[in-house]
Amino acid sequence: MTFTAKPLVRQCRPGGVRLGWACLAGLLSAATALAGDVRVQVLSREGTPVSGVAIVLEAPAGVVRPSGRHSAKMDQLNRRFVPEVLVVETGSEVEFPNSDSVSHQVYSFSAPKRFQLPLYKGVAHSPVAFGQPGLVVLGCNIHDEMVGYILVTDSPFHGSTDASGAAHIPSLPAGTYRVSAWGPRINDGGGTLTATLAVGADGPQTLTLRLLQPLRRNPSPRPGRIDWDGY
Amino acid sequence: MRSDYLVVLGLLAVTATPALAGDRLQLTGLVDLRAVYADATPSFLDGGLGRTRFDENHDGLQLGRLMASVRYRLTDTLTANAVAEAYGDGDKNSLGLSEAYVDWRPFPTHPVRYRLRTGAFYPPVSLEHRRAGWTSPYTLSASAINTWVGEEFRIVGTEFEARWLGASQGYDGDLAVVGGVYGWNDPAGAIIADRGWALTDRPSLLFSGLGRPRTDLYYEIDRRPGYYAGVSWRHGETLEVRALHYDNRADPGASNKGGDYAWETRFSNIGVRYEPTENLTLLAQHMEGKTYVGPDSAGPYQFEMRLEAWFGLASYERGPHRLSVRYDHFMTRQDRGFWSEYAYDDAGHALTVAWTERLGERWEVVAEWLHVRSLFAPREDLGVEPRSSDNQLQLALRYRFHLAAGTSPN
Repeated sequence: MTFTAKPLVRQCRPGGVRLGWACLAGLLSAATALAGDVRVQVLSREGTPVSGVAIVLEAPAGVVRPSGRHSAKMDQLNRRFVPEVLVVETGSEVEFPNSDSVSHQVYSFSAPKRFQLPLYKGVAHSPVAFGQPGLVVLGCNIHDEMVGYILVTDSPFHGSTDASGAAHIPSLPAGTYRVSAWGPRINDGGGTLTATLAVGADGPQTLTLRLLQPLRRNPSPRPGRIDWDGY
Repeated sequence: MRSDYLVVLGLLAVTATPALAGDRLQLTGLVDLRAVYADATPSFLDGGLGRTRFDENHDGLQLGRLMASVRYRLTDTLTANAVAEAYGDGDKNSLGLSEAYVDWRPFPTHPVRYRLRTGAFYPPVSLEHRRAGWTSPYTLSASAINTWVGEEFRIVGTEFEARWLGASQGYDGDLAVVGGVYGWNDPAGAIIADRGWALTDRPSLLFSGLGRPRTDLYYEIDRRPGYYAGVSWRHGETLEVRALHYDNRADPGASNKGGDYAWETRFSNIGVRYEPTENLTLLAQHMEGKTYVGPDSAGPYQFEMRLEAWFGLASYERGPHRLSVRYDHFMTRQDRGFWSEYAYDDAGHALTVAWTERLGERWEVVAEWLHVRSLFAPREDLGVEPRSSDNQLQLALRYRFHLAAGTSPN
């Protein structure tokens, strides 16, 4: 079912609506769609879409949905983690395929998951299980500028914003949710935006988060530099 | 072609056998051929006091460099590294190793990561040499500062680095302190005192000499270890700042049985790399230092020289095209120890313009014009005008390849 309603974005100026650190405009659409679908849109200060933002809707007490996703992929391509930000549910297993022609040595010393995973060519390696909720910062012991993030959440209602800056979280039971959006390039609120959203039975909803601060610069992949500054 | 080069080509051919699965052993190879046209004071590599690698005696086709950089993974955190090189410049020391070291880099378990390397390697001064085998992606000829680093400095010792990794703390960048202890670098300073600054891509090889007939550069003469200490800061991908102080702590009164003197040489270098946009890189380094030789500490017969240089480089990259422009400024000043008719004072500046065209993953063409003006009185000893204005045009065809083989035991 496509959701075609044009999201109404309220400018975040003094006097605008602020919830948490973000400026919010949670709106009901008139289009017909499954009740309980939520679309979270993240826009920069300039109004352009912000991709790669982790969106988590924390369920109200008592609402539990069996999780559908227990495996995910965090690739290495052109000396970047792809995606830069991955959201998984607690207990998920994540593969690190390494699509680069060079070796990587992925590590984390973040409290929710400490691990060391050499990614050599021609060597099989097992997926990594993430059993504790929290933010896991990934690094590469060979390429210090490589940084990736795995956000591990207990909530089954999560997603990441795509190239249009939107994340779709389908089939939420009715209730009031705490929405959090986190991205490594977001300056507002130390990177985390929070809001509350009431999900009713009367149709899909769009929540638009517009940033007040400029984004940090997004590093661009540079295939021509694959062998620079290694070691 | 001399048999030396055939040996290196043979080694390259042997390692170019079909790669097995795995990458325990990694090899980066470079074949760099040049077409050269130069209008320059006789090159230092042929006994002259010129500042360019090539002079008019080298016009035509030249071997720029053959290089094989090998890394072997001993364990997950320990690698053995070596760089073998060959040059076609007729210097007596044109085949050998330029670096050989083991590098230990344990996985970080907290925000500070340690690294230790032992062997022979370049001190972490250059911001230009970012590719395997100490190669610059920007120009063929290195800046005056980094030419000197390549010519006279190789750390034969141990380096320790502690790096605070900001990403884990929400900061996109890191901050490091680095220090090294070494020996066998007592003659460092002899070349720059004798010739002044130069702009070449001809570093010395380990335990050998370079240029005018002279003895090796890598001797331990006074049994006093040298040190260096530095800091570096990286902010995202846009900014890198490095500062380093080097002091070989040589005893300038010491010499060995072969008549090689210890030169007490120290310098401070600061460098900044700034990439304001995806396509533009701005680099600058400044160095100043001193070198002393001879007994009579602080007396009038001891040779004492000040040296200073800086450069600014701008490089614009768009797809496979790259244009780099660099301005160098350099000087030396002899303050004491006038043993010759002429003061060993060097003053000059240089402009380098280089165009690089990447042709796929392995091939690259680089065209470079280097213009150096310098004033150096001791040239009169060789019957050459002290003031020189040199031009060197080079067209390089480079073939670079990566090979990997061998699986790890894990």
